[in-house]
Amino acid sequence: MSEWTQRLENPVSARLRDPAVSGYAGIVLGVFAGFLAIPPIEARTNTWPVLVGVVAVVLGIWTVTRGRRRLGWGAVAAGIIGAALGILATHSGTGNLEAVFNASLVAQTFAAATPLVFGALAGMFSERSGVVNIGLEGMMLMGAFWGVYGADKGGTWVVGLAVGMLSGGLLALVYAWFAIHLRADQIVGGTAVNFLALGITGYFFFQIYHGNYVPQGVSTIPNVHIPGLSSAGFLGPAIGNLNLLIWVGFATVIVSYIVIFKTPIGLRIRACGEHPRAADTVGINVFLVRYGCVVLSGLLAAAGGVYLSDGFGGGTFNDNMTEGRGFIALAAMIFGNWRPFGAFGAAVLFGFSSAVALRLQVYSASASTLFNVLPYVLTLIAVAGVIGRTVPPAADGKPYAKQ
Amino acid sequence: MASDEIVLEMRGIRKEFPGIVANDDVSFDVRRGEVHALLGENGAGKSTLMNILYGLYRHDAGDILLRGKPVTFGSARDAIQAGIGMVHQHFMLIPVMTVAENIVLGTEPHDGIFLDERGAERRVRELSEQFALAVEPTALVHDITVGQEQRVEILKALYRGAGILILDEPTAVLTPQEAKELFGIIRSLQADGKSIIFISHKLNEVLEIADRITVLRRGRVIETVPREGATEESLARAMVGREVLLRVEKAPAQPGDVLLHVEDMHVVDDRGIEKVRGLTFDVRAGEIVGIAGVDGNGQTDLIEAITGLRKIESGSVSVAGRALRDAGAREMLDAGVGHIPEDRQRRGLVLEFSIAENIALHDYADAPDSKWGWLFPNRLIARAGRLIREFDVRGGGPLTRAGGLSGGNQQKVVVAREIARDPKVLIAAQPTRGLDVGAIEYLHRRIVEERDKGRAILLVSLELEEILSLSDRILVIYEGEIVGEHTGEVSEDQIGLEMLGGKERAAA
Amino acid sequence: MSEIDPRISAPEPPEEAASSGTLIASIALKQRAGGIVVPVMTAVLAFLIGGAVVAATGHNPLLAYRDIFNGAGLNWIFHPTTNIANTAAYNLSQTLLQTTTLILTGLAVAFAFRCGMFNIGGQGQYFVGLIVANWVGYDFQHMAPLPHIMLAIFAATLAGAFWAGIAGFLKATVGAHEVISTIMLNWIAIWVGEWLFGDGGPLQNAADKTIPISNDVAASAQLPVFWGVQALQGLDIGFFVAIAALVAFYLILNRTTLGYEVRAVGFNPEAAAYGGINVKKNLVRAMGISGAFAGLAGAIDMLGYLYHFGVSDIPASNVGFLGIAVALLGRNTAVGTGLGALLFGALLFGTTHGLSSSTIQPELAGNLTYIIQGLIVLFVGADVLILYVWNSRKRLRPQAKAMAA
Repeated sequence: MSEWTQRLENPVSARLRDPAVSGYAGIVLGVFAGFLAIPPIEARTNTWPVLVGVVAVVLGIWTVTRGRRRLGWGAVAAGIIGAALGILATHSGTGNLEAVFNASLVAQTFAAATPLVFGALAGMFSERSGVVNIGLEGMMLMGAFWGVYGADKGGTWVVGLAVGMLSGGLLALVYAWFAIHLRADQIVGGTAVNFLALGITGYFFFQIYHGNYVPQGVSTIPNVHIPGLSSAGFLGPAIGNLNLLIWVGFATVIVSYIVIFKTPIGLRIRACGEHPRAADTVGINVFLVRYGCVVLSGLLAAAGGVYLSDGFGGGTFNDNMTEGRGFIALAAMIFGNWRPFGAFGAAVLFGFSSAVALRLQVYSASASTLFNVLPYVLTLIAVAGVIGRTVPPAADGKPYAKQ
Repeated sequence: MASDEIVLEMRGIRKEFPGIVANDDVSFDVRRGEVHALLGENGAGKSTLMNILYGLYRHDAGDILLRGKPVTFGSARDAIQAGIGMVHQHFMLIPVMTVAENIVLGTEPHDGIFLDERGAERRVRELSEQFALAVEPTALVHDITVGQEQRVEILKALYRGAGILILDEPTAVLTPQEAKELFGIIRSLQADGKSIIFISHKLNEVLEIADRITVLRRGRVIETVPREGATEESLARAMVGREVLLRVEKAPAQPGDVLLHVEDMHVVDDRGIEKVRGLTFDVRAGEIVGIAGVDGNGQTDLIEAITGLRKIESGSVSVAGRALRDAGAREMLDAGVGHIPEDRQRRGLVLEFSIAENIALHDYADAPDSKWGWLFPNRLIARAGRLIREFDVRGGGPLTRAGGLSGGNQQKVVVAREIARDPKVLIAAQPTRGLDVGAIEYLHRRIVEERDKGRAILLVSLELEEILSLSDRILVIYEGEIVGEHTGEVSEDQIGLEMLGGKERAAA
Repeated sequence: MSEIDPRISAPEPPEEAASSGTLIASIALKQRAGGIVVPVMTAVLAFLIGGAVVAATGHNPLLAYRDIFNGAGLNWIFHPTTNIANTAAYNLSQTLLQTTTLILTGLAVAFAFRCGMFNIGGQGQYFVGLIVANWVGYDFQHMAPLPHIMLAIFAATLAGAFWAGIAGFLKATVGAHEVISTIMLNWIAIWVGEWLFGDGGPLQNAADKTIPISNDVAASAQLPVFWGVQALQGLDIGFFVAIAALVAFYLILNRTTLGYEVRAVGFNPEAAAYGGINVKKNLVRAMGISGAFAGLAGAIDMLGYLYHFGVSDIPASNVGFLGIAVALLGRNTAVGTGLGALLFGALLFGTTHGLSSSTIQPELAGNLTYIIQGLIVLFVGADVLILYVWNSRKRLRPQAKAMAA
């Protein structure tokens, strides 16, 4: 073997020639191409986004020819989208850009992401145990309404949170009975749950509050003000005054990770979702585990809903307030590959998208809409297996029958 | 090796399922440190018996005694706690988890509320060394070989303190080398005082490893013999039995041209294991070639490959001289291959469809059933009516739902459809499975009739009597290869031997 | 559907072993068992529970249902008249208008179910049809009425087929679950619609740029009204198109080779493959046809009585989702879908615009519809099992007796 080929054989270059590396690098560069044009970097000519985008596309094509087709096409797509967004940004005024992309955007991102975080974690627990839960939207909606109701009638936001979560848990219990005990089709059941929640919350919203925003002075979930962070600079506006439930959301992500991957109960949950018969033969009560996880998913989704109405929303409720967030949360869970931190990352990404969309509305309605569509398009791409493989738990969605 | 102390006794066990008695007054016992083999063909009742012992089924009558004390197991958990471990034929392992996680699942070591991963790993390594079962605790199950998976299953049982281990057809998924390693493991477990119940249908292995052998046939115990003195012939006779089924009257075959030629075929199953290893054979017009073999030796994959339902890794199939490669089901059907599938309900019929619609399953898109995409139900119904009369299908008319027919009549519908297409080659896989005597007799006669019309018939069956009765030429398949070919008279024992992996002997 | 242990390999399997497991097979199973009785009972039970909710919140359920009945114009049957000035007649015409849409969105869901797939994307496919019909209806101003209408309908139907086809394609190629894909496509359609008709959007009306609403469909593309006055939203001939669609649905499924393949794949994909059917091609095709029905619904609505569509109308529309309940209640058959569409059309109009009641307000009654809809869909999933268990007990007992004899 010649010296030249010998050098090529060393472990580092072998690693670099692995198509997975070039594929992921292409995706990262594609994102970066778009990032270039916005503050803080704020490149002002088309050249930069285009250049970086082209490199991403090239890496993508290289990856495709090396066998990792889906990853490669993902990099190509990322390169094109990133370059396009970057070009769009360079054509906007710097004043506009700075108004949109600043530190408070971070806060808004987390605010938009939190219902999604709760929802995605909820879905994750349920599906990890083997039960598909499309009814997240409905459970979140229940939490949104009954949370405000509880805060209003009960006096404090704590009661509101409890009542809201309980309502989600009860709905989840009904769903669990149909899905686990009666072994009904879970997609049909989840769809039914969404209709039910829509009807119940709408009905009682008009019955009790006559369709008006809930009366003034309802106790809302407080913000957490971090002392010592000035209101100027970056950290202050970014994280200095976030709502309590946002921090609870962060904590829940960490706790979920620990529970699912570091505790015995988490191991059993995952076993029920991958191979319920194997779990059964070692003495695990699959039904009980699944019931527990589904009810937990109802509690968590509802918590996200309570945040939406009683935290973010300032103590108001609108008909069908969740507006599809439950489905975005579902998408975040899939995009995050059924893992807590992945789902959190996806939720933040989608939250970022929503927050940007909201801000862009002042400047450009069409750009705003584009950003609203992004979560769904990304999930569609993820489901098509472009970015790695989305792998649900093996027994997800299949009812378990004992002999 | 084995002591005289009886650790387990099953007495008079009876278990019935709707329509079949799986275990009929079965009694046997196991001594400490013994390897006790349960020998029998598929359907003999071995797995049912062990599922009862493991708590997955409840027996209808009889007793189970553990070290002299009667016990009842309500669930697998009870059996596990009583010290019985089972390694299933289809592994109960979770591919995305590590070896250690799979082993400790359900009785995990924990440090407060946290999973003690290090402790689990340590314990697994300890057990692994103690019993010479080499596994890597941190490996993911879907990365390890099948042989390693089996060792994990054994460790699972040992981790829970099993004193009695049930191994269900353990070598079914192993290579010969891995099987040798397994036997070494069994011997060392024996030395440690564990008792092993070894379920199998492979004579040679049973004779190599077992101390005592209990033969089951059709749910009953035929005999329990010590290894010394047992021979392959004596065991084969006990397993297969001497029951005489109706032999079909048939004239000698007059084979014509080769209509089906399979050349050096290699087929891989869903798990990636090579199931057909270089098969070559012909079937001529006017002859019935029977493939004899125990279930799982490659017959199913062979049939799927020939009928276009499974990919052929290498090799070829030719029908009437035309080679067909990468052919799907449609191409094979059009080439003139008829297929009576072994699972009539899953593959052969759409139970929700009427008889008429099922009969049209291959040809609905051709005239006269349809034209330019428009279906003519009346023509389907008329054709079905004719076939129902010709094949004497009872239980309904052309519009009756297929799921409402009895098994025998369902099979007749399938057979009628295939034969009515006038295929050059007819492949019949387990054609009389689950049928009553009358239906069996009818089908056998019919198959011979079709042979006399000049079709080439390939018969695959698990019933040796059926093969012997119908075939003009018999091929014996074992572990994906043809190990014997016989024309004319041949003894049951000889075939049985070959089927069960026995060595070929000159006719006695 | 208890599993029979495959390890037994019993020589005599019970002839009706567990059905192939697809949802449509189980629904068919239950249909045989209960016929029309079970859907009716399901609906009755849902109405009872809905009535209990109404009663629990202080309204008289019987009066409420009566008012909804009248609101839907179903009291017309007591005093039939073609005079549209009569309230009952007018209400009925509006109910039938809703029924038209629901027949088509119901057929969309039903057709996909017949091929073993769950098309939740009816709402998005409906919007796509709506949008395309509006665009074609406005843009080609100088065409004669008949070709203009045909073009708009054709384009919208094709658009709906394409939108659903994406999900079918993803399922056939990479195995992506159609439920996830269609849900995502729903929302993409919603947002794209809001962009198109919104401020500055390409399809925003040319007359007044401050209102986020689409153009009006040209008069040449508007469907003729046959009962009522067009200005007051009369019943248009789209109603007959919907009826024709029901017939077409039945004929396609039962009288064509395409329908044969769709049904075979829906009941038992393995047997279908054995029969030589290309399963993947059928998945894409069935989703396409399913989307076509939904797109057609959008076209009929746009050309028949909507004529324009605003950004605020988009979230308020839910006919695609109601289609799911319609199809499931109707057990995915033509007749069932028609009757289910009538029921929900009556509920939809009778609880909202048609309702004049002292017992219950439209907002409450409208949400009652959602509750009933949810209950019906919930029960469909479950009653299948209940019936199966009930029936298999009846089947096994005589067989056991025969064994013992």
